[in-house]
Amino acid sequence: MINKKIIENVIEAALSTGGDFAEVFIEDKKGIGINMISGKTENIMSGRDFGIGIRIFKDFNSVYAYTNKSDEETLIQTAKKASKALLGSNDIKDIVINNIKHENKHIIEINPTEIPTKKKIEAMKRAYISAKEFDELISQVTVNYQDYNQKIAVANSDGLYVEDERTRGRIAIGAVATKNGEMQSGGSAPGAHKGFELIEDLDIEWHGREASRIAKTMVNAEYSPSGKMPVIIHNGFGGVIFHEACGHGLEATSVAKGNSVFADKINQQVASKIVTAVDDGTLKNEWGSSNIDDEGNPTQKNILIENGILKGYMIDKLNGRRMKMEATGSSRRQSYKYSPTSRMTNTYIANGESKFEDIIANTEKGLFAKYMGGGSVNPATGEFNFAVMEGYLVENGVVKKPVRGATLIGKGSDILKKIDMVGDNLSFGQGMCGSSSGSVPANVGQPTIRVSEITVGGRE
Amino acid sequence: MRDFNELKTNIFNEAKEAGIEDVEIYYSQGRDLNIKVFEKEIDGYKLAEAEGLALRGKYDGEMGYSYTEKVDDTSVKFLVENLIENAKNIDREDKEEIFEGAKEYKKVNNFNNSLEKVEETEKINFVKNLEKEALELDDRIKSIQDCVYGDGFSETIISNTKGLNIKDKSNLAYTYVGVVAKEGEEIQSGFAYKVTNDFSELNYKDIAKEAVDEAISMLGAKSIKSGKYSIILRNNASADILEAFTSIFSAERVQKNLSLLKDKLQQKIASEKITLIDDPFMEKGYASSAFDSEGVPTKEKNIIENGVLNTYLHNLKTALKDGIESTGNASRSSYKSSIGISPTNMYIKPGDKKLDDLIREAEEGLIITDVQGLHAGLNPISGDFSLSAQGFLIKKGKIKDPVNQITISGNFLDMLGDVEEVGADLRFGLPSSAYIGSPSLRIKSLDIAGE
Repeated sequence: MINKKIIENVIEAALSTGGDFAEVFIEDKKGIGINMISGKTENIMSGRDFGIGIRIFKDFNSVYAYTNKSDEETLIQTAKKASKALLGSNDIKDIVINNIKHENKHIIEINPTEIPTKKKIEAMKRAYISAKEFDELISQVTVNYQDYNQKIAVANSDGLYVEDERTRGRIAIGAVATKNGEMQSGGSAPGAHKGFELIEDLDIEWHGREASRIAKTMVNAEYSPSGKMPVIIHNGFGGVIFHEACGHGLEATSVAKGNSVFADKINQQVASKIVTAVDDGTLKNEWGSSNIDDEGNPTQKNILIENGILKGYMIDKLNGRRMKMEATGSSRRQSYKYSPTSRMTNTYIANGESKFEDIIANTEKGLFAKYMGGGSVNPATGEFNFAVMEGYLVENGVVKKPVRGATLIGKGSDILKKIDMVGDNLSFGQGMCGSSSGSVPANVGQPTIRVSEITVGGRE
Repeated sequence: MRDFNELKTNIFNEAKEAGIEDVEIYYSQGRDLNIKVFEKEIDGYKLAEAEGLALRGKYDGEMGYSYTEKVDDTSVKFLVENLIENAKNIDREDKEEIFEGAKEYKKVNNFNNSLEKVEETEKINFVKNLEKEALELDDRIKSIQDCVYGDGFSETIISNTKGLNIKDKSNLAYTYVGVVAKEGEEIQSGFAYKVTNDFSELNYKDIAKEAVDEAISMLGAKSIKSGKYSIILRNNASADILEAFTSIFSAERVQKNLSLLKDKLQQKIASEKITLIDDPFMEKGYASSAFDSEGVPTKEKNIIENGVLNTYLHNLKTALKDGIESTGNASRSSYKSSIGISPTNMYIKPGDKKLDDLIREAEEGLIITDVQGLHAGLNPISGDFSLSAQGFLIKKGKIKDPVNQITISGNFLDMLGDVEEVGADLRFGLPSSAYIGSPSLRIKSLDIAGE
C-alpha cells in the first residue's frame, strides 16, 4: 500500500528518540451507507477513508499519531513529532521489514463494492415490504444498509509486515407499531464478515417480519414488573449480557491497571461451574472475525472462563507488557484514527446441557428476555445495565404475557455466579461495540441461559 | 490554500462536465492532541492532523453525496462518480436544495487564539497535577481509571457553485478524570470533566475534588425498595436524559412518523415551568455558529415556551415540506454524513432556586446524581426510559444515605409534565454536534426499581 522502504524509514524516524517499539498502520477503506424510510431511499453516502497511524512504545508508555497524507516527508515529520513526546537517547536503529503472508480464512464470494447500488436497494425494499405488510399496526419502517471493504497493512520495528482485507455488510430493519397514539419499536440487524453473498443468502423477509412482530408485540404489552426475579435470557443477541457484564472486565485495557474486578483472578472460580466463555476472532466469516488483529497478530480462539474458572484475558501488545503476558490477537481499532487496544471479537458462552423448553418449564415465576437491546458497564465496579427489547412474564413454567420497558441491572461478577441453567442452542447476534479504540463490529452469543436473580427495572 | 482552491476548481469543473447541476464542497481539517497520565507518567499521547472532503450535488434532480479522506486530485473522479451513482438511486419525494448563501451572518467567535499558544509542558503539568491531586485527596481513592487532557482545532469550509463560500473555525480543550474508591470489598467510581477554550479556566483541584467527592459519597450505597418516589434529577443527569431525547424535536423525525411530538405543535407538552431554548449565539456555547451545515443563518428560538411546543427544528428540506423557513438547524456530524438536523446550544431555561432549596422543599424522596445506559435503556420513539441510576435518599429536606443498583423509569413527556420546580444551576454535558444543558429538576414522581 506504501513503498516498504518508506515504511522502514518512518519506523526508524519514530524510534529516533529512544522508543523501543514502533508500528505503522495503513488503512484504505471504501464503503457505502444507504438509508431508507417508508420504502424510499432517503440518503446514500459512499466514500473512502484513508490514513496512516504511527505508534511508538517506550516501556509502558505509548505515543500515537495519524495523518491522511502518505508522502514520505509528511510521514517522517509526523513520526518525528510523535517521537518527541518520548524523552530518551538519540538512537539510530536500522529497520528491515519482511512480508508475512497468512492464509485468508474468510473467503469473500462477491465483492460488494462491485455490486450496483440498485441491487442493494432492491434487497432493502424487500425488507421494507415484508416488515410493512406484516400488520396494519406497523406505522413506519426504516432500513439501513452498509457494506465496506477495508484494506490494512501493519508494519513494526520487530520486522513484521502484514496485510489484511476485511469485507463486511449489514442490513438493519427497524419497525414502529402505533396503537392509540402510542409507539413502540422492534428491530433486526444481521451482519457478517462477508461480501454481497450475505444479502443473497439471507432470508430478508424473515428479518423484516421479525422486526415488525417485536414492535407489534411490544405495543400490545403492559409495563414490566420491578424487583428481583429469575431471568431467562434467550440465545443470540442475549449474549450481550456476558459481553457487557463480564467481557469488558476481561479486556487487558482494564485488567492491566488493576481497574477490573477480574484482575489477579486467574485460575479462580469466577462463575458458576456450568459457564464456559470464549472469545474467538477466527470463526469463519463471522461479524467480529478477521485474519489478523489491528497490530498484526493472527486472531485466535481465547478461552476466557472454563467450567467457571477464569482462564485468560484478551490482551494487546502494550497491556501485555504491563501484565507480563503474551498478546492474544485481540488488539482492535475502529480506524487509523485510533490507537489499538484489547477488544472483544466474537464472544460467547458455550453450549450447556439444558433444553430450552426445560429452562422455561423449570421457572416458576420470572422474566423471559427474548430479545435484548443494548447495554453498558462501568468496568471499575462491574455495574451493568441492559434494556430488554422483547420480554415476557413466565408463570408456572409457561411463557405468558409480553412486557415492555424492562431494564436489567446488576454486577457482572454476581451474575456469573448466579447462572443456574445453560441451554444447548448457541447462536450469535451482531453489534457495534464502543470503547477507547472506537466502535468495532463484535458478535455476541450464547445459548438460552437462566440467571437465578437479577434486578429488573420496570414500572409496575 | 492555493492548493485547496485549485482542487476546488478541478472538482467543480469535473462535476459540471459530468452533468451535475449545482455542487457543493464541505471540507474540514483539524488537529487533535490527547495526553493521558497514569502513575505520574505520560502513559498515552496522541497527536493528529486530519482532513476530509465531501461533495454534494444535484444530478438529474436528485441530491448525491460522496466523500474522501484522500484530499487531492487523484480523488476528483472518484468523488464525482460516486455522487452520480448515489443521486441516481435516490427516490424520496422531498427535495433537497443547495443554498446560495445569505446577505449577512452574525459574528460568532468560537476560536480562542490563546489556547493555541499554551505550551505543551503546561498541559502535561496540568494533567499530572490532576492525577496527583485526585490520589491525595482521600486515602480511600485507590486508583485512577482515566486522567486525560486534550485539545483540538477544527476548520470547516462550505463552498458551492451557487455562490456560498463560508468558513468556520473553533478550538476546544477538555479534561476528565475517573477515580476508583475502595473501602473493604466495596468499590465505587467517580468521574468529573471540564470543557473550555480558555486554558486558564481549567482548575485541576476543582475537577479532582468533584470526582473524588462523587466516589467517596457513594461508599456504603445500597439499593432501596421499589416504588414511586418524589425525584430531584440533578442538572447533569437531567442534561444527559434531555440529550438522549434530542431527536424528538427534529422535523425530519416528525415528518417521517418517528417522533412522539408529531401533531403536538402549539400544544402543552410539558409543565409551565419548562422553557427549552436553542441558542446558536450563546457565549461559551460550544455548538455556537453563525450558520448551519447548509450555510443557512442560525437563529435563537424557544422550542418549548412555558410548556407549549413552539417549533420543531428544521433544515431547508423539512422547512420546504412544511411551507416555512428553515430554523437553521441543518447539521452534519462530519463530512462522512449527509445533511441531518440537530440543535445548537439547547438548554432548559434555569429558574431561580438553588439545588439546596429544591432538596429542602422536596422533604422526602430521592435525588438522582447519575444515570447510565442512555443508548439502550431509553427509546426516543416511544419516549419510555428505564435507566440504571445512583443518588441519595432525601429525608426531612436533607441529603442522606447513598443509593445505587436501582433503575428510574418513566416516559419523557410524562416526566416533563410532572416538573414541579426548575433549579438555577444550569449545567451542560460534553459537547458533540450539539451542546445540551439543564438545571436540576424537581419531579412529582418516577418509578424506582430496586429491592
